[in-house]
Amino acid sequence: MTEDKKGGFLRAIREFIYGMSAHDSARFALKTRAQMEHLFILVTMGDLVGVPLLPPYYSLRLLPYVVPQIATWKRRMLREKDLTDALA
Amino acid sequence: MNAAFVLIGALAVAWGGYRWYAGYVDRKVVVADPQKVTPARMYMDGVDFMPTSKNVLFGYQFKSIAGAAPVVGAIIALQWGWLPALLWLLGGVLLIGWLHDYLSGMSALRNDGLSLGGMAYKLISPRARLILLSFIYFYLLLIAGAFGAIIAGALTKLTSGPVAILVLAGAGALAGHMIYRWRINILVITAVCVGLALAGIWLGGVLPAPKILGSLAQSKLLWGVFAIAFCYISAILPIWRFALPLNYVAFYIVMLGLLGGIAGIFVGLPSIQAPVYTEFTIKVGPLWPMLFVTIACGACSGWHSLVSTSGTCRQLESETDGRPVLAGSMYVEMILGVVALMTAAAAMPYTQYQELLKAGPAAVFATGLSNLLNIIGLPIAYGKTMATVIIVILAITVMQLVLRFMKVATIELVGDRSPVLRNGPIATLVAALLTLLIIETGWWQYLWVLFGGANQLLASLALLVASLWLRSQGKKFLFALIPMYFMFVTTIAALLYTSYNLLSKVFTGQAGGEQLVGNGLMGLVSLSLVVMALLLLSDGIKALRSPLGPEGPQPEPEAAGGGQ
Repeated sequence: MTEDKKGGFLRAIREFIYGMSAHDSARFALKTRAQMEHLFILVTMGDLVGVPLLPPYYSLRLLPYVVPQIATWKRRMLREKDLTDALA
Repeated sequence: MNAAFVLIGALAVAWGGYRWYAGYVDRKVVVADPQKVTPARMYMDGVDFMPTSKNVLFGYQFKSIAGAAPVVGAIIALQWGWLPALLWLLGGVLLIGWLHDYLSGMSALRNDGLSLGGMAYKLISPRARLILLSFIYFYLLLIAGAFGAIIAGALTKLTSGPVAILVLAGAGALAGHMIYRWRINILVITAVCVGLALAGIWLGGVLPAPKILGSLAQSKLLWGVFAIAFCYISAILPIWRFALPLNYVAFYIVMLGLLGGIAGIFVGLPSIQAPVYTEFTIKVGPLWPMLFVTIACGACSGWHSLVSTSGTCRQLESETDGRPVLAGSMYVEMILGVVALMTAAAAMPYTQYQELLKAGPAAVFATGLSNLLNIIGLPIAYGKTMATVIIVILAITVMQLVLRFMKVATIELVGDRSPVLRNGPIATLVAALLTLLIIETGWWQYLWVLFGGANQLLASLALLVASLWLRSQGKKFLFALIPMYFMFVTTIAALLYTSYNLLSKVFTGQAGGEQLVGNGLMGLVSLSLVVMALLLLSDGIKALRSPLGPEGPQPEPEAAGGGQ
């Protein structure tokens, strides 16, 4: 077995074990963070999707910090979801 | 027949099916294209849509689909003899099971990662989504009831289990705290918490439940409440605090036990002691249709379509990863089912199996696995407690997820009409009490069959959606539609047979007290599932007969290179 193949095989085993044991936890941690972030963006930038919650002055002050996430946020907010999304 | 030969044969079937049939469908029918941009790359948000290595996803998919079901189903089905159970495991996965997992995932992949409900809305009819989601609610209730009954039965009979489970739960909570609060190295956490759980297994043998609880340890109600309370706490706590770290620690215990069992089969080479075939009709019912719903996961399971669509397909990096991840993990689950069958068929005399089955499949699994682990040197008592922990934790993991999901479903479905049910803990409590009612009043074998029936029915509905998708693309679809009809007819027959048995006892006065409640409730849930499935099939057939539109089949857009 060459060094590359050996490394590849061991890496595959390591990734498989990670997938079984911890991938779910990592996804849920990311989901929790994303939900908090999206809630924050909704409160501050809600008027982008028609929900004005904060006066535009404060929204404008925060805008530079939120800009990198707006595209993802809008996509997640507007994507069609149903109950089974909560399963995985 | 030697158990090791059966296992080798199953491996050969899995390899052949994966290589040739799955390879053919992947390359020639679905035409998986590595150049096409997957939803994970197109809509990458770092959370739901996230390109992930196929090795990680293979582990994730396998872990998500392989719970207690492939183990328990195979053990119960041994009552018909080992050959019918084995043939359904092999034939089911080869002709239906992998196809179901693979096609549901790939159809969602080609539809921007839509969930099964969204696919039903798009391909069947607008009302199909609501019917499907209501169907899923009842289905989840049956999962929680069936798995809860397995746990209650296991902890009543296997008295060394409760303390070991409590120590494992403590180790899980500690792992959560160490990971997220103390931020200690994961290797240290794993060593400490898995070590603690293994010590807990030893402690369970030293401190069996009757020593602490006296005669109360034999109460099914107590352990039913225990299982529900366990899942309730898990559902209302933040998921990182308890449920996920517990699963993390339990993963190592489950893997050690199962790999030890497989090693036991190959080292000890035990011969199968169960009969090849017993009789057509056993206590649960006739071989057709009941065998095909008794073994659900391991051969074909609707649960997998939920995981494939909502979870895995949104993380596939490339279309060509679909076959190893979706089809491959299903074949490996079949191997798990065969190992479970062998723990019952080869690791103990058949008379002992029959005796133990009266106490539930967990007792059979614990004895069988402990005998196999004993071959590689583990003391029988320790192995038995370990096996008890494995089966309980496999069941409780799914129950936790189901109750958490039922909380969300209750809020979504009736929260608008009843504001009190918008409260998370109350919605969870409602789901938990319904589950407890089923656990306490239902006979576990019927519960299992109903769960299997609902599960297989969901599988046939997922196959219907997949067939409609293939047809809409102008691809061959009969190879998916024929298994769909087989699963549909079989499961409807099984559910009707079971609900007739249950409700006839209610209406003829043969059932009284808690049996009356259990039979009535299970019979009605079963009939509701049949009605909803028939409505969906009727809409599905209309969709199948409808013309494809003036422009004919709608092939997917041309491959677009690159992603984000």
